[in-house]
Amino acid sequence: MSALPLLGVWLGGWALNIWLARFDTRATRALVAVIFGATIVILWEMAVRIYAIPTVILPAPSQIADSFVANRSILWTDFVQTILRGALTGWVIGALAAILTAIAIDRSPFLQRGLLPIGNFVAALPIVGIAPILVMWFGFDWQSKAAVVVVMVFFPILVNMVAGLKATDPMQRDLMASWAAPYGASLWKLRLPAAMPFLFNGLKITTTLALIGAIVAEFFGSPTRGMGFRISTAVGRLDLPLVWAEIVVAALAGTLFYGLVALIEKKVTFWHPSQRT
Amino acid sequence: MRHLMLSAAGLALMAGAAKADDLTLQLKWVTQAQFAGYYVAQDQGFYEEEGVNVTILPGGPDIAPTQVLAGGGADVVVEWMPAALAARERGLPLVNIAQPFKSSGMMLTCLAETGITDPATDFAGKTLGVWFSGNEYPFLSWMNTLGLSTEGGPEGVTVLKQGFNVDPLLQKQAACISTMTYNEYGQVLDAGLTEDDLITFKYEDQGVATLEDGLYVLESTLEDSEKVTSLVRFVRASMRGWEWAAENPEEAARIVLENDETGAQTLEHQTRMMSEIALLLEGSDGTLDEADYQRTVDILLAGGSDPVISAAPEGAWVSTITDRAFD
Repeated sequence: MSALPLLGVWLGGWALNIWLARFDTRATRALVAVIFGATIVILWEMAVRIYAIPTVILPAPSQIADSFVANRSILWTDFVQTILRGALTGWVIGALAAILTAIAIDRSPFLQRGLLPIGNFVAALPIVGIAPILVMWFGFDWQSKAAVVVVMVFFPILVNMVAGLKATDPMQRDLMASWAAPYGASLWKLRLPAAMPFLFNGLKITTTLALIGAIVAEFFGSPTRGMGFRISTAVGRLDLPLVWAEIVVAALAGTLFYGLVALIEKKVTFWHPSQRT
Repeated sequence: MRHLMLSAAGLALMAGAAKADDLTLQLKWVTQAQFAGYYVAQDQGFYEEEGVNVTILPGGPDIAPTQVLAGGGADVVVEWMPAALAARERGLPLVNIAQPFKSSGMMLTCLAETGITDPATDFAGKTLGVWFSGNEYPFLSWMNTLGLSTEGGPEGVTVLKQGFNVDPLLQKQAACISTMTYNEYGQVLDAGLTEDDLITFKYEDQGVATLEDGLYVLESTLEDSEKVTSLVRFVRASMRGWEWAAENPEEAARIVLENDETGAQTLEHQTRMMSEIALLLEGSDGTLDEADYQRTVDILLAGGSDPVISAAPEGAWVSTITDRAFD
């Protein structure tokens, strides 16, 4: 019987969305998604209250929100430690290294035969295997987390960039050659811009990888701050609302990070067919 | 694989008929001699003689026993008292029903070259490795009694979240790390350091020892008279197992190995662990000594700004089970 109100809310939200779907405007399109999300949160809150689910198993959204507000300073410290220092630094270093390596590989078939398999091999290493080793090499602080992120993001960006540098037509390359363009000019004016859609694919994929890498790496020894540290230790202290608050921060940061990269992509590759709406 | 099939079949049977004499025990850590008493009691048929059917679930780095208990995944857990009392204060009504371990095996192991000789004066400004997941409470209490901040800086100590190995000490990333007499201390020696390279501070000697490896259940379990009877039998058989293990460390280690599905443990290591564990068992028949409980509570309450528990717990232990088990 107690499932009835849950069912009612679900069906109500559904009906509302079906009605809204008739009006195909920008506002309703956004509203449909918002209503769906809100319904999930409301159902969650109701389920926790109706079935008296213990906080240790699943805290209610209201408890998570309270914890979020009460622990703002902790969450901010952890965000700076894990996302800005660990994930972002590692992502930037990894991306730059991958782009430069891709150009080197593109220039020389010799490197292509040697470096790609090694890159592939490193990418296949499980994070739980390399994280403790990197902690030993680079210490406990964010440097070792950034190193884990570098290892995780390097290969996807490299593969995409290598493919991107091959993405020009023979006709376009011939045109550059007929103008006697040196290698540098043809790289800068033709092949790098042509590679941008590929590069941004790699960058977008690795935004989430970078977050996961930075958070999981903190499970293997860390100073007493950081999102991974907080998630793993707050569980031991049965402070599950704080764990979920950290998860909310991670989700928001991940969405924002991805959105930023997608926005830059729009600006850089405005000429590409996929950007036409 | 056969193990898996058998346990799957066992689970299916249990789901079919969860009787009062079925008990699930969640260990605090992985299968090792630290829990030999329970494995011995099962292997030697002590549980069977008492008519209880015990399932032993090993723990691990990411398993908080209190959480398993709260989720209904176990009837009894092996837990340290600080974590249990902290959970109690957070609204999870854990109750101690028996205390097989009399002494604490916890210590800080420091490199002698750091020049640390006296915790009261020499820890300031140093980096110390600490386990978390509920095991940080004894350490935090100790630092509180020393009046040291755990936020770092020259006046406080810098805390490292220690993983599950002793590398931070070997790498000299920390001046001291947390070790158990029966486990990590041996790992440090195995790694090639000698006892002369090290200086150890046992929580027992520092007067900040808290009770470890007690048996805890939820309050609601104690309201079910049939479950209580099973718990009495379980505790009696477990203590028989502990006595047997303390007298026969090598056989006990062998039994532990047989139950270790990870294959990570060695006989030599487990035998050494069992001999060290036997020292911690001395002086306990499983009954909680109220003086030990009071000392643990006082230590946990003695915190400056951040005590582990804020008020003396009420009803956090019962003697009814052990009284019935050993009269």
